[in-house]
Amino acid sequence: MVGGVFSRFKIPLLLAPALLVLGGLFAGGLYAALVQSLGYFPAIGMTEVSLDAYREVLGSRRFLDSLLLTFYVAGVSTVLATVLAVLAALALRRSPSRISSVIFQVPITVPHLVAAVGIALVVSQTGLGARLAASLGLIGEPAEFPALLYDRYSVGIILTYVWKEMPFVALVVLAGLRGVAGELEEVARTLGASAWQRFWYVVFPVISPGIVAASLIVFAFTFGAFEVPFLLGRSYPTILPVMAYDEYRSVELTDRPAAMAINVLITLVTALTAALYLRLSRRIGGRRGSS
Amino acid sequence: MGRRKRPGGLGLALVASLVALPLLPLLLWAFTGVWRFPDLLPSELSLRGWEYVAGGGGRAPEAILNSLLIGVAATAASVAVGLPAGMALGGYEFRLKGLVIFFVLLPILVPPLASTMGIHLTFIRLGLADTAFGVFLVHLIPTVPYTAIILTSVFAERGGEMEEAARTLGASPWQTFRHVTLPRAVPGIAVASLFAFLLSWSQYALTLLIGGGSVITLPMLLFSAASGSDPVITAVLTVVFALPALLALVVALRFLRGHGDERDLPFLGRPS
Amino acid sequence: MSPPASARLELRDVSLRYGRGAEPALKGLSLTVEPGELVALLGPSGCGKTTALKIVAGLLAPTSGEVLVDGRSLLGVPPEKRGAAMVFQKPLLFPHMSVEANVGFGLRMRGASQAESSARAREALGRVRMEGHGDRRPDELSGGQQQRVSLARALVTEPSLLLLDEPLSALDANLRSALRDLVREVQEEGGYTTVFVTHDQEEAVVLADRIALVTGGALRMYDRPQAFYDRPRTREVAEFFGATNFIEGRSAGPDGPVETALGTFGLATPVPAGKVTLTIRPEAVRLGTQSEDGGNSFVARVSEATYLGTQISYRLQAGDTSLRAALPPHTRLAVGERTTVRLPAESLWPLGP
Repeated sequence: MVGGVFSRFKIPLLLAPALLVLGGLFAGGLYAALVQSLGYFPAIGMTEVSLDAYREVLGSRRFLDSLLLTFYVAGVSTVLATVLAVLAALALRRSPSRISSVIFQVPITVPHLVAAVGIALVVSQTGLGARLAASLGLIGEPAEFPALLYDRYSVGIILTYVWKEMPFVALVVLAGLRGVAGELEEVARTLGASAWQRFWYVVFPVISPGIVAASLIVFAFTFGAFEVPFLLGRSYPTILPVMAYDEYRSVELTDRPAAMAINVLITLVTALTAALYLRLSRRIGGRRGSS
Repeated sequence: MGRRKRPGGLGLALVASLVALPLLPLLLWAFTGVWRFPDLLPSELSLRGWEYVAGGGGRAPEAILNSLLIGVAATAASVAVGLPAGMALGGYEFRLKGLVIFFVLLPILVPPLASTMGIHLTFIRLGLADTAFGVFLVHLIPTVPYTAIILTSVFAERGGEMEEAARTLGASPWQTFRHVTLPRAVPGIAVASLFAFLLSWSQYALTLLIGGGSVITLPMLLFSAASGSDPVITAVLTVVFALPALLALVVALRFLRGHGDERDLPFLGRPS
Repeated sequence: MSPPASARLELRDVSLRYGRGAEPALKGLSLTVEPGELVALLGPSGCGKTTALKIVAGLLAPTSGEVLVDGRSLLGVPPEKRGAAMVFQKPLLFPHMSVEANVGFGLRMRGASQAESSARAREALGRVRMEGHGDRRPDELSGGQQQRVSLARALVTEPSLLLLDEPLSALDANLRSALRDLVREVQEEGGYTTVFVTHDQEEAVVLADRIALVTGGALRMYDRPQAFYDRPRTREVAEFFGATNFIEGRSAGPDGPVETALGTFGLATPVPAGKVTLTIRPEAVRLGTQSEDGGNSFVARVSEATYLGTQISYRLQAGDTSLRAALPPHTRLAVGERTTVRLPAESLWPLGP
């Protein structure tokens, strides 16, 4: 009964390849990172399990500065991207969906590095913005233009993230507006609700779970992303993933547990955000499914 | 045009120009000969950057080829692995399904940098570090979840009645897969492949870690150019780097039009 | 509860074209709904009936024409100020509000206090037999219950116009007839001027004071339900209401008989001279012993007999003409049998062009 055996193990068999790949590379990698963060590193003669690396990392000024910067960049990027996304979606809700989806898909599809270079060419001291300021007579020298790259407010990084992630949130909002929220708005209209009342009491509450879910994704991503801050960020403090990378690349092999400890902490924060997201999206899905 | 003004035309123009803003200087710089500081436009256009890159300056052709090969391999492997997973997750109900979905989604939501650093040591031991094959393997960390989840939604959306009908008409499980399931999944597989390729093509951090500077892909070159001083070379490399994404967008649009599909383009996240 | 100010609704030559060059969705629709009247807008899907309703609600603007309530134009008035509450095909309850908050929504939007809107919402829920469900979430209710709540939500604002867009079409058959009765009941109680869009001819006949039959964006007939069976205006109208018996002929003059291939028929209605199509309901056709008194009769062959439970449907063939007759189930005519057929003068109806 080959067929019987096959159908009995069909689902495990179908899942096995993906689970093996992800289990080996992703889960295995995370496990190794965790073990190494605990100081177990036989390759360099460290075999004692301890929380020293965490103690060292959490107690260091450098880590705290990094942590603050990371929360700041991820938080500001997420809030700005979300607010702009809602505004953009409201502006485009009556445009043909083909046009709006093309406009929003461009930043979503283009790699982050492209966005970072593009933003740099706009906001650098010899960039488009500075040239515009100069031709308007606002500045004379490039150096008079405010430094927006490698700066303490991470303007370049945040602008790159806003440009890249805003459309993702906007498409989620737009889908909501064009779907059930749009129908409910018509109902509210026939029941006498003004434009502001319709948005505040009907449209916004209906689309907000989707907005929150999308912005959680943006937060998790910007919290753990490496390349944009690596390219446009200052050398101190750095964003956490860059700090982890620096520690990892350090000549001192004994810094590795510290690098791994930072990695584990990043993973914890993002996994927590991810779990929140999944709970939220399941609730949205469940509600939609039963009505 | 004497037609009524379309509401929101102004908003549309504003959003479109904000989206286009960072792409504009990229295109200009890529074809610039001379562009002095206060000028708003280049005073001289040239193909200097393109000639340099096409002529092998900075190993660009090699890097592009590496990026392409690794991307194609990662795409093929992700579809091969993600298709059965998508069939199982989208087509069937089973115990622990929620947990499996969470496990598959996690590498999308949690940065892959941590696991890659963790696995680096093992890769060194196995001789996979600093090799293109090793880079290909770590690219699977983000690409497999995306393909699996996209294909899951494809199979979940259409249900299994068509397959059941085929079975009652005398098709074996394999024939059902070959003649019913697979042909109907082709659009979904195409979208998933597109995503997988773009994800691999855009990957910088994982390549840097595992490739260790020995495996040169396009973003590696782009990064060192961007840290350098010649915006023309940087712009040319960036345009080349953005090209597959824009091409994919055009293809996806045409594809959807061909199928008369009025939905928005499929999206689940952003290839970084 | 004060009775609502019933309004008189008038559509005057309303047309709507969605895009340039597109076929118009509505072509010069004119219609008057008297205060407290329930009018069914009946038509096949895509005929423009929902479009017409949305124009009355203000959710669409007509390309030309006028919409008047009690003689005043509504066109400059935004939907939220029209006092035209609409119930949609789907219940579309606000998912983030309790049932009571859903029903009280319209009142709160008009600035009513929490206590007042809550009390009136509970009262409205009672009117649709949903008392005691106020604290539930919409997704805890069945489809029929949700649609009742949606009706209560529209009623609570005491609308001058009640607009119903196929509110029963998403429900199961038995639920549908129960809710249909409820709609009629609350509508009569409240005396709302009501427009009810439906594609279901039976629903329209049972519910409406008058039916407006719309096809292809134009009004084909506007009359009391009975008239659609007894005196359909055109062959198209007759066919929409299930008529199958059509006899081509030529009239000699207003009082003169009509010559047809089946014979010469007298009618109780005057028919202008010239070509004419006659129709007769299958129930009005008389067969065999029933057709004794001579006039308006001919001989036909029974070509088919279908037992339908409460009646038997016969297909009769006479030359090239085929007619249907519906008789009580105790009649026993065999297929192939020849029988006399009489078409009573008072039941024969001439159709307009």
